[in-house]
Amino acid sequence: MFQGRHVGYLEGLRYKGKAPMLAWALHRITGLGILLFVGIHVIAAFFLNAIGDDVSTTITTVYESTFVQIFVYFCVLYHALNGLRLIIEDLWPPLLRYHRELLWFQWLVFLPVFGLPAFFMVVSILSTGV
Amino acid sequence: MRSRYPKRGSAFEYYMWLFTRLSGVLMLFMGAFGIVYANLAGGRTLMDMTTQYRWAFFPTYWHVQNSDIPDVFPNWSNSFWQVYAILLLLVAAMHGFNGLRGVIEDYIHRPYLLLFAKFSVYILFLFTLFTAAVIVFELFV
Repeated sequence: MFQGRHVGYLEGLRYKGKAPMLAWALHRITGLGILLFVGIHVIAAFFLNAIGDDVSTTITTVYESTFVQIFVYFCVLYHALNGLRLIIEDLWPPLLRYHRELLWFQWLVFLPVFGLPAFFMVVSILSTGV
Repeated sequence: MRSRYPKRGSAFEYYMWLFTRLSGVLMLFMGAFGIVYANLAGGRTLMDMTTQYRWAFFPTYWHVQNSDIPDVFPNWSNSFWQVYAILLLLVAAMHGFNGLRGVIEDYIHRPYLLLFAKFSVYILFLFTLFTAAVIVFELFV
């Protein structure tokens, strides 16, 4: 990060980094997802209160839907857990020896904590249709 | 002769690296405190769980307004939470937009395009802060 490396997009996709690369890519994607959601949310709330136009009303109903909420929950939870693991590894580098094990442990924590609420959210979509 | 060590980054990048870590932990604690407070303030009986969790992300009363809170003002609306919300959003926006700058620097290599992109990110950051201040302090009401 923050260093100019001249690698093309396709070349980058051919690199098979397995679990650590997946964590890096997901950290980046979820970070951008949070930024997109929070940015749209703040700006839409501003225009909804200031003008009350139709566009921000539509945007508000879109991001209040359960589908978007599941996506946002995925982004926030993954980014928080992965960031916490990163900070812990940065603070105590000997843990880097168990980098892959930590990644597996992170998925072990992530899957139930994400899966259970997501399951109930999907159930609520199926029963109410929102 | 080439130096044995890689070129040192600027102090600014080091401080942003540090800030990203510190603000990440700070946001986790601020969110946790928000949830704990929402429980102490009677959120358990006043609102459903998702509404209560919304308090962790942005503690202003209209963020939980849709639920049946009898009187919003003693617990849910005071200047402590206004300062808290603006601080949380400032930290989150700096963390987020700095991350976006990192992503942009990874994928854009043309100098002027990079400059333009970074400038746009900075403008977006300022606009988000302005917007948040207007919302939190209710300047348009």
